[in-house]
Amino acid sequence: MTYIMSLFLLGLVLGLVAVASNPSPYFAALGLVVVAGMGCGVLVSYGGPFLSLVLFLIYLGGMLVVFAYSAALAAEPYPETWGSRPVAGYMAMYVAGVVLISSKFWEGWHEFSWVPGDELGEFSVFRGDIGGVALMYSAGGGMLVISAWVLLLTLFVVLELTRGLGRGTLRAV
Amino acid sequence: MNPYILATLLFGLGLGTTITFASSHWLLAWMGLEINTLAIIPLMAQHHHPRAVEATTKYFLTQATAAAMLLFASTTNAWLTGQWDIQQMSHPLPITLITLALALKIGLAPVHSWLPEVLQGLDLTTGLILSTWQKLAPFALLLQLQPANSTILIILGLTSTLVGGWGGLNQTQLRKILAYSSIAHLGWMILVLQFSPSLTLLTLLTYLIMTSSTFLVFKLNKSTNINMLATSWAKAPALTALTPLILLSLGGLPPLTGFMPKWLILQELAKQDLAPTATLAAMSALLSLYFYLRLSYAMALTMSPNNLTGMTPWRLQSSQLTLPLAISTMATLLLLPLTPAAVALLTL
Repeated sequence: MTYIMSLFLLGLVLGLVAVASNPSPYFAALGLVVVAGMGCGVLVSYGGPFLSLVLFLIYLGGMLVVFAYSAALAAEPYPETWGSRPVAGYMAMYVAGVVLISSKFWEGWHEFSWVPGDELGEFSVFRGDIGGVALMYSAGGGMLVISAWVLLLTLFVVLELTRGLGRGTLRAV
Repeated sequence: MNPYILATLLFGLGLGTTITFASSHWLLAWMGLEINTLAIIPLMAQHHHPRAVEATTKYFLTQATAAAMLLFASTTNAWLTGQWDIQQMSHPLPITLITLALALKIGLAPVHSWLPEVLQGLDLTTGLILSTWQKLAPFALLLQLQPANSTILIILGLTSTLVGGWGGLNQTQLRKILAYSSIAHLGWMILVLQFSPSLTLLTLLTYLIMTSSTFLVFKLNKSTNINMLATSWAKAPALTALTPLILLSLGGLPPLTGFMPKWLILQELAKQDLAPTATLAAMSALLSLYFYLRLSYAMALTMSPNNLTGMTPWRLQSSQLTLPLAISTMATLLLLPLTPAAVALLTL
């Protein structure tokens, strides 16, 4: 289990480096997919399967897909991928920084400073965060109603900002 | 703007502040702040020109950063202390982070640089909403942060009063002047937060009234820089007579209302044995006073050269609502004798 966890965390950090090194948005979106996927793996092992499922569904399946379509609208002829000079420079810098800082935490008592949500019992959806989910849908019902209303408000805000074609707020639309 | 959309957005503004006021859970407070940010974005960009869009983008980025910092700090607090209650915070790290996040939200120095540029890109009405309504929710949270980090608050307060004074000195655009005035007043509010939160509330409310008057005066005169202000003296002579008094009230001179918060804050600082701090704050108020005086001079104490049609305009009934200006002006000028009542009413 430790091996899989280390793999997930390594993938998470590498994905973050891939996003932060400033490539074109399509490649950065791929980095985000890797980050979200690896992060979900870590969450599942430490008692957060609901959060992991919601992350996949809403973040990757909703928000990232919309972002990918918007990025496709703004396509450029020579996108900068991770092999091009400035991006590769940033990547090397970030990896070097991560290795440098993490070298301070390799030995000693830091090795045991993880705080899991609950013990790894079995690989199921019924884990530590189910209690919180039940609470959210019962006592936190009002907050869910407000959240739904806020999503509707966001829709109106985005529609208001993007209407008008060339005469509107975003002239390039 | 479509009236249904305008109504929805204004409702969203009201709802956001109400949610933050009514919340004892950090997540709900954060939600209220985000609703406020979301709802004001289309209002800021409604005049579809690039300067307004630039201001909207800068506003959105800074407020999103501040809200993310707030969320991070409340999650850290939940991790360290096991609970989400706003009034039960005990660990210094989340408290400091939240103080800095809220300082970014309202525009205290040294994280103030967005405020003049954002305010400059907006029309005067939206600028008024930004300077008044959008400050209420973050202050509701700041007033409840109990064992506050003393050093940070005093540094934020003094830096803000100094930056607000010095920054405003070289400005000719009225909205930027009002932005720096806002920074200076917020500095005074933060300075006394740890000693007497009710004085912070009093300063906030008097600042709200005074800055509303100022924005409404500029809106009625349709002036956005000092030159336009200087040639607007003939448009509404009663207003020309009152505007210097409004500006001097902003500057904190007795016997006007603006003196009330400064007087009480200096008294409280002296009682807490912080005489050098009080002296520095009082001296920095002189810087702000200079540019308020410059505005009064330009508008009312000098008759700027103008052609005949500019000096004798038709004084027709204004199509703008003048009742809010009338009420806020009277409050800006005449509330000083009510100081004991104000202090008694606002005990937190």
